[in-house]
Amino acid sequence: MSASDTAKSGRSSAGEAGVPAGALLVVLMAVVSTVAVLAWPARTAPGRTMWTSARLHYQLYEPIVAEWNQTREPRVNMTLMSLEALERRLLSGFLSGTGCADLLETERRVAARAFTGPLESVGFVDLTDRLKSEGLYEQINAASFSPWTSRGRIFGLPHDVHPVMLGYRADLVEAAGIDVSQIETWDDFVRLMLPLMAERDGDGKPKRYILNLWETQGETIEALILQAGGTFFDEQGRPTLASARNAATIAQIVAWTNGPNRIAAEARDFSASGNRLKLEGYVIASVMPDWMCNIWKNEIPQLKGKVKLMPMPAWEKGGRRTSVWGGTMLGISKTAPDFEELWAFAKNLYLSPEMARALYREGDIVTPVKSLWNDPIYDEPDAYFSGQAKGRMYIDLAPSVPLRASSPYNSIAILAVQDAVVALGIYARQSGKFTVAELEPEALAALAPAQKRLEQLLDRNVFLRESAANDGGTGLSRLAGATEAGVTK
Amino acid sequence: MATPRRAAWGFLAPFFVLFTLFTVYPLARAAVLAVQQTYGPGTERFVGLDNFKALAADPLFWKAVRNTTVYTTTTVLIQLPLSLLFAMMLNRPGLRGRAFYRLVFFSPALVGVVFVGMIFGVIFEKRTGLLNQFLHAVIGWDLDFPWMQNYVMPSLVIATLWQYMGYNMIYFLAALQNVPRELTEASEIDGAGPVRRFVSVTWPSIRPVATFVILLSVIGSFQLFELPWVLLNSAAGPDNRGLTVVMYLYQRGFETGDLGYASAIGWMLGMLLVVCAVVQRRLSRGEESV
Repeated sequence: MSASDTAKSGRSSAGEAGVPAGALLVVLMAVVSTVAVLAWPARTAPGRTMWTSARLHYQLYEPIVAEWNQTREPRVNMTLMSLEALERRLLSGFLSGTGCADLLETERRVAARAFTGPLESVGFVDLTDRLKSEGLYEQINAASFSPWTSRGRIFGLPHDVHPVMLGYRADLVEAAGIDVSQIETWDDFVRLMLPLMAERDGDGKPKRYILNLWETQGETIEALILQAGGTFFDEQGRPTLASARNAATIAQIVAWTNGPNRIAAEARDFSASGNRLKLEGYVIASVMPDWMCNIWKNEIPQLKGKVKLMPMPAWEKGGRRTSVWGGTMLGISKTAPDFEELWAFAKNLYLSPEMARALYREGDIVTPVKSLWNDPIYDEPDAYFSGQAKGRMYIDLAPSVPLRASSPYNSIAILAVQDAVVALGIYARQSGKFTVAELEPEALAALAPAQKRLEQLLDRNVFLRESAANDGGTGLSRLAGATEAGVTK
Repeated sequence: MATPRRAAWGFLAPFFVLFTLFTVYPLARAAVLAVQQTYGPGTERFVGLDNFKALAADPLFWKAVRNTTVYTTTTVLIQLPLSLLFAMMLNRPGLRGRAFYRLVFFSPALVGVVFVGMIFGVIFEKRTGLLNQFLHAVIGWDLDFPWMQNYVMPSLVIATLWQYMGYNMIYFLAALQNVPRELTEASEIDGAGPVRRFVSVTWPSIRPVATFVILLSVIGSFQLFELPWVLLNSAAGPDNRGLTVVMYLYQRGFETGDLGYASAIGWMLGMLLVVCAVVQRRLSRGEESV
């Protein structure tokens, strides 16, 4: 049978109706599959939903949520997803107004994205009045609110404080006879630790560097700038990148990472090669927020008993000995019903002594609830950190943690400063100028385009412009304890 | 007559519905967004041509265009001759194990771009990276050589070459196998050498495929996103050396939340690609008329 014969027979089989049999089959399949998809029951568990992107948190919350679901209504169903997926879904829900999970646990960068539009368009419930009326505002470390505060309103319950210390190879430092208790400032740190760089490898380069830092390590650069009293945005949410203090800090970073007096090298976090370099003692000291302790324990267990922590050296005598890195909050979606029940659940999950203990025991994270800081768990010696009571050390530093802006442009500001550091590094290598005094004027010039870029971005945002006119800035200074934490030093 | 016409529309309807839903509507929506500033569908402000004006004065956008153009030019100029060269080597009569070599050269194309980014991230690592370690062992290369800091574009080109050279080679190999053997033999009998044979016989025969491969490579290169995004840890690298147009579009649309600006970038990229396609078509027509 030829093709034309087949076509003819097909047409004739369509019969008197005149519709080809093949067409009928296709339409039938389309109708059946559509009905099947529409009729397929969606798997929805009864109760409210909560999204988180942190596996550790999810595991810690499971027993608490299970207990809650046995005794209270409505049930809460947790879903663990990647941060990127959570970000996409959260923003899609907020922007389209179609709703998303009822409870959203998210980190700083993602939460800040919700603050791009007008204040009334923020998808999280404004918790400010509730926090104040229930006295929680005073009970929680002030700085922990700052990433979730936009235009004076607080949109999340803080999960942590995340103070920062320096983790260092105590075995190598103590073998060299160095007494870290003598270190108060970065100058002391460099002076006392420098003998560790005397040993050379086959290329004539130092076998070790005393600080784990490089020009594109945005988080550490941000932590150092905040520690030094620098800022990224002012009270009105305007960028403050090109300040003398920021210039001095990045000039010092470039001086540390370049030239004949270089003291810093790169050993990345969350990286096999970085972990190997840490294990080999290629870098002596790394900036360590509390959560990073847990990462080291899991990823570099061989360093157990070989590392210790010390407060960050200050930029000047009597200066701040810590900074901040990372952060998570729990927010309630505006589209969620049962606010009272969800608020009760959120407090039970985040503020209970049991959770604080679990958070520290399993995640090495200290709670932001000040009344729980007396818990003896924080005084327990930690074998990984050579028996130090690291919980107490972090808590002692918690009140000094600097405030951070919640600007949706914060991550871009950090990248812009990072670009300025890179540009300054190029200038240093090309000009042969490697001292802070020589680099400072150029640092200010390198920060100027970063500042301009941010200003242009902000100027284009009609919503923030309107909000600034109506509400007046980020409202950070209105946070309790803001003065001593120094938001706009 | 009416029934076959209805049937035709019935068959065409799925295409029209899907095309309207997923191509026409997004394009129209992007055009509307390009003249707006938005924070979701409920919060929109008409800003006229502000997005395009800002784009024209945005040094980062032009840096992204420059980076993407450099990447596209470099990859096309290096990759395609290499692909053709390897195809010609594999097309030699009497070559043993041709299928094996073809598989070896083609296999990188089977690896996802994200994996390529991760693999090359490890290879280009300072001190512990495979490349620096190997070069250090062989020629005493500097272990701290900063591939991904100071040599972002060469790193991207190397990774792309590894992944796509074999892929394009397959196109050329298929084209070479369709070059009429009698023409090659006739030119050989007439005394033409290998270069003359390539210029006068092989190239004219494979030119349509070469034009197609160049066009695909140019369009693909201008859409570069995943490789630098993974290789440079979700950023554009130091001093934005790895910033591409699509990456900038993503940053502005999905990191800054400025969908209007991102739509304007998308339209600019679209127009750029149309210009590339038109120029290339003109050039290839010119060649044909010659």
